[in-house]
Amino acid sequence: MSQFLQPTILLLREGTDTSQGRAQIVSNINAVQAVADVVKSTLGPRGMDKMIQTGPKVTISNDGATILNLLEVVHPAARVLVDIAKSQDDEVGDGTTSTTLLAAELLKEAKPFIEEGIHPQIVIQGYRKALELALEKLEGFSINIAKDSAQDKRDTLLKCAQTALNSKLLANTKHFFSELVVSAVEKLDPNILDRDLIGIKNVTGGSVTDSFLVDGVAFKKTFSYAGFEQQPKRFENPKICLLNLELELKSEKENAEIRIEKPEEYQSIVDAEWALIYEKLEIIVKAGAQIVLSKLPIGDLATQYFADRNIFCAGRVAQEDLLRVQKATGGQVQTTVNGLNPETFGTCGLFEEVQVGAERYNLFKNCPQSRTATIVLRGGAEQFIQEAERSLNDAIMIVRRCFKANKIVAGGGAIELEISRFLRHYARSVTGKTQYIVNSYAKALEVIPRTIAENAGLNSIEIMNKLRQKHAQGDEEGRWYGVDINGASGVCDTHSSFVWEPTLVKRNALCSATEAACAILSIDETVKNPKSDQDTKMKPKGQPGRPPMGMRR
Amino acid sequence: MSLAFDDYGRPYIILRDQGSKKRMKGLEAYKSNILAAKAVANTLSSSLGPKGMDKMLVSPDGDVSVTNDGSIIVEKMEIQHPTAKLLVELSQSQDAEIGDGTTGVVVLAGKLLEQALTLLDKGNHPLKISDGFDRACDVAIKHLETISEEIDIQANEHEALIQAACTALGSKVVSKRKRELGKIAVTAVLDVADLARKDVNLDLIKIQTKTGGSVEDTRLISGILIDKDMSHPQMPKEVKEAKICLLTCPFEPPKPKTKHNINISSAEDYKKLYQQEQQYFVDMVKLVKDSGANIALCQWGFDDEANHLLLQNELPAVRWVSGTDVELIAMATGARIIPRFQEITPEKLGKAGSVKEVQFGTSNERMLVIENCQCTKAVTILIRGGSQMIVDEAKRSIHDAICVIRNLIKDNRIVYGGGSAELACAIQVLQYADEVSSVEQYAIRSFADALEGIPCCLADNCGLNPITSVAQAKSRQLQENNPRIGIDCMELGTTDMKEQRIYETLSSKKQQIQLATQVVKMILKIDDVIAPDDY
Repeated sequence: MSQFLQPTILLLREGTDTSQGRAQIVSNINAVQAVADVVKSTLGPRGMDKMIQTGPKVTISNDGATILNLLEVVHPAARVLVDIAKSQDDEVGDGTTSTTLLAAELLKEAKPFIEEGIHPQIVIQGYRKALELALEKLEGFSINIAKDSAQDKRDTLLKCAQTALNSKLLANTKHFFSELVVSAVEKLDPNILDRDLIGIKNVTGGSVTDSFLVDGVAFKKTFSYAGFEQQPKRFENPKICLLNLELELKSEKENAEIRIEKPEEYQSIVDAEWALIYEKLEIIVKAGAQIVLSKLPIGDLATQYFADRNIFCAGRVAQEDLLRVQKATGGQVQTTVNGLNPETFGTCGLFEEVQVGAERYNLFKNCPQSRTATIVLRGGAEQFIQEAERSLNDAIMIVRRCFKANKIVAGGGAIELEISRFLRHYARSVTGKTQYIVNSYAKALEVIPRTIAENAGLNSIEIMNKLRQKHAQGDEEGRWYGVDINGASGVCDTHSSFVWEPTLVKRNALCSATEAACAILSIDETVKNPKSDQDTKMKPKGQPGRPPMGMRR
Repeated sequence: MSLAFDDYGRPYIILRDQGSKKRMKGLEAYKSNILAAKAVANTLSSSLGPKGMDKMLVSPDGDVSVTNDGSIIVEKMEIQHPTAKLLVELSQSQDAEIGDGTTGVVVLAGKLLEQALTLLDKGNHPLKISDGFDRACDVAIKHLETISEEIDIQANEHEALIQAACTALGSKVVSKRKRELGKIAVTAVLDVADLARKDVNLDLIKIQTKTGGSVEDTRLISGILIDKDMSHPQMPKEVKEAKICLLTCPFEPPKPKTKHNINISSAEDYKKLYQQEQQYFVDMVKLVKDSGANIALCQWGFDDEANHLLLQNELPAVRWVSGTDVELIAMATGARIIPRFQEITPEKLGKAGSVKEVQFGTSNERMLVIENCQCTKAVTILIRGGSQMIVDEAKRSIHDAICVIRNLIKDNRIVYGGGSAELACAIQVLQYADEVSSVEQYAIRSFADALEGIPCCLADNCGLNPITSVAQAKSRQLQENNPRIGIDCMELGTTDMKEQRIYETLSSKKQQIQLATQVVKMILKIDDVIAPDDY
């Protein structure tokens, strides 16, 4: 208590919040636990959804990254979790919840070491070592599917998509959607697999199973002017002209001003303006276009002009839709009609405007260069479709990854347990503190099967014991045992029950979780500047004012 | 949300505005969600069926609407609760897809949630319940398909369609006139339907309302009605064998779009300018006249000068016709929309049997009727009624009827109403439940109970004893193996819905069950609600 008598040395601005030392690490770890707890119950096929209200908007989701993002985490250490979930989402698209949980579990395991006085760097080193071994083992365990025939490969992709959809709202229709997703990905160029070329369009109404895949592009009817209804709505093998050009009667230059000296000249100016637009329209018609799409508005004059000549037009087409049309039909977007060349026109097997629910959709089917696909999602409520879209996105990413990587492992916690078993075994051969730490790493990995079992309402201790026993046999047979949520025994060979995941997902999850854990462990001081005035509104209630703690030790 | 404290005794601030956020977890969350959703469903349940009651809804600006259309009620209730909002969207998506059965879908969802609540209390895992519901839903849908019947929509002057329309109209305020209105709706849809493609573009049916008169005065105009009158009171009120010129340019001297100004330096120039302006009007009217047109409809306004000239040249004209009307008129009369006077040609004119101005009642308001159009692809239903509220409700009712007919044209399979289809499904689902060995059995059985809730609710609303009448209907269905036995809401003395001719479309029933199950599943999957505290 003697230091209280010393005069306080003020180093930092008043209100600055600093904390340091071992207690800081522990405090960060606790914060991370709190965040991980939120997403914990979403893991696995029996995972639940979260409903988060932000302002007037309500989101219902099961996707780890989405939930963490909407939680608006402000704690600096806990934000690291949000970031890894996001990076997992960007990189592989799925497995965000497991990454978060794993990172939190690693930190939880590290907490006793820190409290007992082991230097954080030693823990970090131990974890890095364990990760290295785990990755090596992961590669060793994974099953290569590259050699398989096309049909087998497709089956594998279907299985992976189904595993990804298992925990989502669409779980009951996973066979339907896995088929949809795999077909959509197969449409893409196998070398690039550009995700942007798969469009997902939402239309409320109908059952989810009314969702369909358009082999080509689909987009909602754009805003149209009078005369649009007189245009033909169906073409076979049309010539499609793509423009980035405004087709409207308007002043050509914004700030131009005309001085007219004689009344006779007046008419000539008016005529000139009309001539300009008619010239453009005429070129398009002469070139033989049958469908005109433009990113910019197509005015009423042009709409009626086209209607008179049996041409379909749509203005204000969204950028990404136009891009997809371009890719699918093989056309090129023109920014001017001067020298319009019919060779730049795209084509497709069938163009049609159809009614989907309450909306009208323009469909471009059977495209020659079909490198794009569009999934039209149907469903009861807006939130339902949005969640379905997120789920499909995960599945698409997984299938894409699987397509490229060709390597899979069994899910349901099987691979985690197998690595865990191996690490425990390895730990015994290590001398020094690292032994404990590698052991902890092994223990942390068990969080995945344990949580899956817990969420499914199974007795997790019993299941874990059964699984450890199976894996401890150490042979090929027990390797792929994971949590079975349907069967009576609670465990099964997840490889033979087709719960498959791309190795890449696991690899990325392990890496980023370990990285995040190490990053948080290596922070021993936080300096938080006082909030500026405009932020004070947002300052949470219930935070008591505290004196600066900088010098307390 | 609860706060955690670290070693220094400081609270963790992990989330933004943590103190003002509320979090509900687990059973508490399920129950609160279910109760909120049930509250909405309960509000609607008294509106179900032919004897369903209406709701009066007063908007913040004091507008009153009276309706028993489910989707409108929930929309106007301005529901805040996030879960309850899901039901609102449920109803609206049924409206968007089918247009009818919006009340039924919400009531069914409410019944399912009620059952789910009891199951949760018994300690079932919510996902097991939702799995069970899903399986039961599949069974119900399959059964619906087996009991559905194909009807011949052409037979007997579309009698079947009229009956289906009557069923849809039966529960509305206009039920007294359902036969007449049903006929109007059927004729309107058939006029615009593309039977080969089985497609009906509802945009082509315009529903125009006008207060005054009574519902009986509602009529179908095989043409278009626009709420406009002739631009000059002295113009002829009726044009026979009309040749219509549709213009999207004003009767005014043309203006360049580019900013311009005219410098006039002498009096001669001014005169010249004036003369030229006058010349424009003369030319315009001449161009229209020369093409053979005997009436001009214009999207824009007229200069007074032009108006006068039009009158002098005996060319009736209408100004400020809205864009959508212009399009409809173009479709109906085969006219081409003309963007400037120079392009007027005789081929571009639309043809109609007559264009006349009609006056309603003693009011001064006039409307323009374009009848016997060359290609009657667009029709108008003019709805009359004592008050704005009745007219509005009649409009919604006719919209429902039109949707039912459209669905029948798309898919001509029907099931019988009066709760008979639900009862038949409930029986089937119950049978299936006994074959399931896992926990889902209970959920499946509850699903059947929820389905029975619909006829119960119907009977209740008709003042019958729900339990007795449903029990009777159910036992007769089983005994006679006749899935058409339902609730005799109208007290016609028979419970066979085929005899009562209560038709509902298969697509609508299927959709109702699927959508309701889907939303219930979604609500059951939420175990955590994080929201601002004030909700």
